[in-house]
Amino acid sequence: MKPFDYQRATDTDTAVATVSRNPNARYLGGGTNLVDHMKLGVSSPELLVDVSRLSSDTVETLPDGGVRVGAAVRNSDLAAEPIIRQRYPVLAHALLAGASGQLRNLATTGGNLLQRTRCVYFQDVTTPCNKREPGTGCSALDGYTRYHAVLGSSEHCVATHPSDMAVALTALDAVVHTQGPSGPRSIPVADLHRLPGDEPDRDTVLEHGELITAVDLPALPMAARSNYRKVRDRASYAFALVSVAAAVDIAGDTIRDVRIAFGGLAHKPWRATLAENALRGAPATEATFRTAADAELAEARPLSDNEFKIPMARNTLTSVLRDLTQQEGS
Amino acid sequence: MNDHAPARSPQDLDDAIAGGIGESPIRPDGALKVRGEYAYSSDLWAEDMLWGVTLRSPHPSARIRSIDVSGALKTPGVYAVLTHEDVPGDNLYGLKDVDQPVLASDVVRYKGEAVALVAADHPETARRARERIDVDYEVLEPVTDAERAAHDETLPKVHPDGNLVRYQPILKGDPEATAEVVVSGTYTLGMQDQAFLGPESGLAIPAEDGGVDLYLATQDLHSDQAQTARALGLPQEKVRMTLSGVGGAFGGREDLSIQVHVCMLALRTGKPVKMVYDREESFYGHVHRHPATMYYEHGADADGRLVYVRAKLYFDGGAYSSKTPVVVGNGTTLGVGPYVVPNVRIEGWGVYTNNPPCGAMRGLGAVQPALAYEAQLDKLAEALDMDPVDVRIRNAISRGESIATGQVLDYPAPVAELLERVRALPMPPERDGTELDIRELPGGASNTTHGEGVYRGVGYGVCIKNICYAEGADDYSTARVRLQALGGEPAAMVHTAAAEVGQGVVTVQQQITRSELGVERVTVHPNDTDVGKAGSSSASRQTYMTGGAVKTACEAVRRRLLDRVAERFGEAFGDLSLAGGKIVSASTGVLTEIVDVLGDEVIEETREYHHRETYPMDAEDGSSERVQVQHAFSAHRAVVDVDVELGLVKVVALDCSQDVGKAVNPDAVVGQIQGGSAQGLGLAVMEEIRVGDGAIRNPSFTDYLIPTILDTPPMKIDVIERGDPNSPYGVRGVGEPPTISSTPAVVAAVRAATGKDLTHVPVSPEHVVDFGE
Repeated sequence: MKPFDYQRATDTDTAVATVSRNPNARYLGGGTNLVDHMKLGVSSPELLVDVSRLSSDTVETLPDGGVRVGAAVRNSDLAAEPIIRQRYPVLAHALLAGASGQLRNLATTGGNLLQRTRCVYFQDVTTPCNKREPGTGCSALDGYTRYHAVLGSSEHCVATHPSDMAVALTALDAVVHTQGPSGPRSIPVADLHRLPGDEPDRDTVLEHGELITAVDLPALPMAARSNYRKVRDRASYAFALVSVAAAVDIAGDTIRDVRIAFGGLAHKPWRATLAENALRGAPATEATFRTAADAELAEARPLSDNEFKIPMARNTLTSVLRDLTQQEGS
Repeated sequence: MNDHAPARSPQDLDDAIAGGIGESPIRPDGALKVRGEYAYSSDLWAEDMLWGVTLRSPHPSARIRSIDVSGALKTPGVYAVLTHEDVPGDNLYGLKDVDQPVLASDVVRYKGEAVALVAADHPETARRARERIDVDYEVLEPVTDAERAAHDETLPKVHPDGNLVRYQPILKGDPEATAEVVVSGTYTLGMQDQAFLGPESGLAIPAEDGGVDLYLATQDLHSDQAQTARALGLPQEKVRMTLSGVGGAFGGREDLSIQVHVCMLALRTGKPVKMVYDREESFYGHVHRHPATMYYEHGADADGRLVYVRAKLYFDGGAYSSKTPVVVGNGTTLGVGPYVVPNVRIEGWGVYTNNPPCGAMRGLGAVQPALAYEAQLDKLAEALDMDPVDVRIRNAISRGESIATGQVLDYPAPVAELLERVRALPMPPERDGTELDIRELPGGASNTTHGEGVYRGVGYGVCIKNICYAEGADDYSTARVRLQALGGEPAAMVHTAAAEVGQGVVTVQQQITRSELGVERVTVHPNDTDVGKAGSSSASRQTYMTGGAVKTACEAVRRRLLDRVAERFGEAFGDLSLAGGKIVSASTGVLTEIVDVLGDEVIEETREYHHRETYPMDAEDGSSERVQVQHAFSAHRAVVDVDVELGLVKVVALDCSQDVGKAVNPDAVVGQIQGGSAQGLGLAVMEEIRVGDGAIRNPSFTDYLIPTILDTPPMKIDVIERGDPNSPYGVRGVGEPPTISSTPAVVAAVRAATGKDLTHVPVSPEHVVDFGE
């Protein structure tokens, strides 16, 4: 690990100003991802500004019925929050499907959104990687691609986003509030993460120094009828091969509205708008579910080791929808 | 029968002493480990010590044009930077073939090969200095395909003599035999890691005599000592080694790692030097289980009796030989499994490639063919419409019959009995659809299914494994036992070099001494090289070998004590025995206390224990009158639930029947079987080091998956004791067999649940899932 300076932020404005003016400064939240990367040599910041005690660590109900989650709320605490468990079960499930208890006790809401890919080549500093070192090439393209993307990838990067929580937030139309060098702004989580394109080193649309301060969940009544399923290589402590976050609003046998996002398939949590469109107003049948999944996955382009992800994603989505639509009431 | 208590046959030992043979006394390291207070070798510390780090090759194959260490040497805080030019003795070592450089000189043969060393006053300083070592490599095309390496003469030669480490055929009976029913298959097995938790570590302290004292975690002190002394150019008595807390081994500590390196740095700097690998370096710093490709054909008659087995086995040894010759020996000799086969043609190749070196791991060379021959037996059962257990029983080897090399098994070989017993164990309850705990279902905490799309399957596996070293190796262990009166009570001290790697050999030595000397207070001296060899804590051999040595030394101590008593009391020697600290005469009862006979005197005896001689295999046909000392057997039944929509496997039950000859410590026996079964389960469904272009792609415990408690079912362990008349107390090695038979049982159960023809382990979701159209 390279030597670095550490500062504990005293207020948001100072923290943003400090990081913004130093291209080699980074925010430190729970440190569960960044510190690993510093040890591996993937990241070598010269200044860490600790914001873990700065942002709000509370979950509060908003006047419009939505819920505001402070950026410093730990994953364990958010998953245990009664309002989340009751009104947004998909989020609680996704949080609990991630990492380990020890990591969840440290990891923050803001930090979880910004965690970086688990691509083995990104983590191995002896191999070329466009995300780590732009312009060096993508080692995964001709390499080991079992965990890599099938949707929205580019010739420059086929990595996937590792977060479970972000998949649930994407499905829920959550909105991120930030404070940046150009002032505050709000960004839908679905627009926060980028596809790799020709700039795979940029995971998100955030500017350097822009700090996530809170995440808002809209009221979204159908979220009470939501679920998260994660398919992985062992029963716990593993990243997703495929995951699905979904919420449905069903009347009789008809799907009135639906929210779906996939994890494990793309460089970002993948909001499945094509599948949602196919499902809105359609009968809740196995055939509809499959048609919807196929609509979303029609453009999927597998790599050498991950063709299985496409049918696996279809089966996962189908089973989640089956489960949600067969539930008693909401 | 209690579900989890071992079934045991009656004991014939005197069990008057508490904590003796057949009991399960508390192990001395147990509570410390559970509380996190046990001192592992990575906890070693000396005042004013330096930290050593290793520079490793980033390329799987390259020529070294030059190494410039000047930048590293200039780094403040750096005390030494060493390369191959600084190796004081022979720059080569190895367990069998001496083919591996201490530090690479002209070429590197795998990614991760050690090239240079740095010692500094802080580990981070050492790591930063390491980055300033400039190595100029000419990168070469690596050899990565083991099967090609065996036959393709046009490939680059990894070593000057070519890419073949060992070829061994076994030919028995009619090579052209034909059969009514023939089944064939090709099976492959990925590279498995030992996944011990304690990384390689040690502390070397330079000594005033010009030698060095090394405190370290290892499996075999004397093997390390001999190889290290040779590389250091020192006589062995100047390279003294003491075992420190070992955080697991499973074969991964048989080869050298830090040993020579840390001693070189200590001798060069004149200061204590500590080395500790991090997890990623550990993946490159020890050998792994050989990946294998295996072609099998079985022929049987209409009754399911085996007529022939033909097989070709390819083992990827990676860049250096390590235990590859032994893997080929074990793989071929045990390649038909625990079955009687009249006609055999097995060929085994162990080859060099530029992949990471492979060597010892629990079940050495027997794990790979068991996956194949057990799949073949299931195929045969299906072709014959027979029960898979019945077809195994029909062919099961038993006492008096011979394995493929011609060796006659002159001890119990209860293979059929084990299969019958494991089949008779109670089955886990059926899922009744009301089960609410999703952790019991495939996917576990991932919430992937609530029971829909889940199918159950049952599978069996049985195996044979040789115990102790084979093929003529001089295998022995040494024990020094001292008996004296301490504070008015008799006390024994046992001194051996047997490495406690978690298996419980310290407790076993205490138990044997208690039973042999009738003394409860038994201390085990720290293991070091001040006593004779114990050999490696591997091949399931320490209870047999070091147990035998302790027993023999105790007998010698007892003889001296009782000689004196016989003389003093005028009793016949043969009438005397030791019990509860007293000396008892068969004719006149208690004669005296041991402490009264001893007075101030110390009785100390040192003995070696050698097992029966073994003999090499014939190079042409593999025959050998006795290629191996002893064989052990275990049988598993696996019950799995498979979510066929998503391809997820939940092992619901993994039950085992095993013959252990004599359970010296029944709790430890059960622990060994449970641990071995879990390791075999891991290989079956998740454990694989992903190697691409010679590089390890998942060198972490986040990416190399081993079973968690959610993946591991409760296990019924059924232990039987059919004593081996040739071994001390009839013991039979315990540690390895359950690692071997568990894997094919789990895979068979997944096949039964899915109908898939699974030929590779680990089985992954994409192999299992039913993706519909």
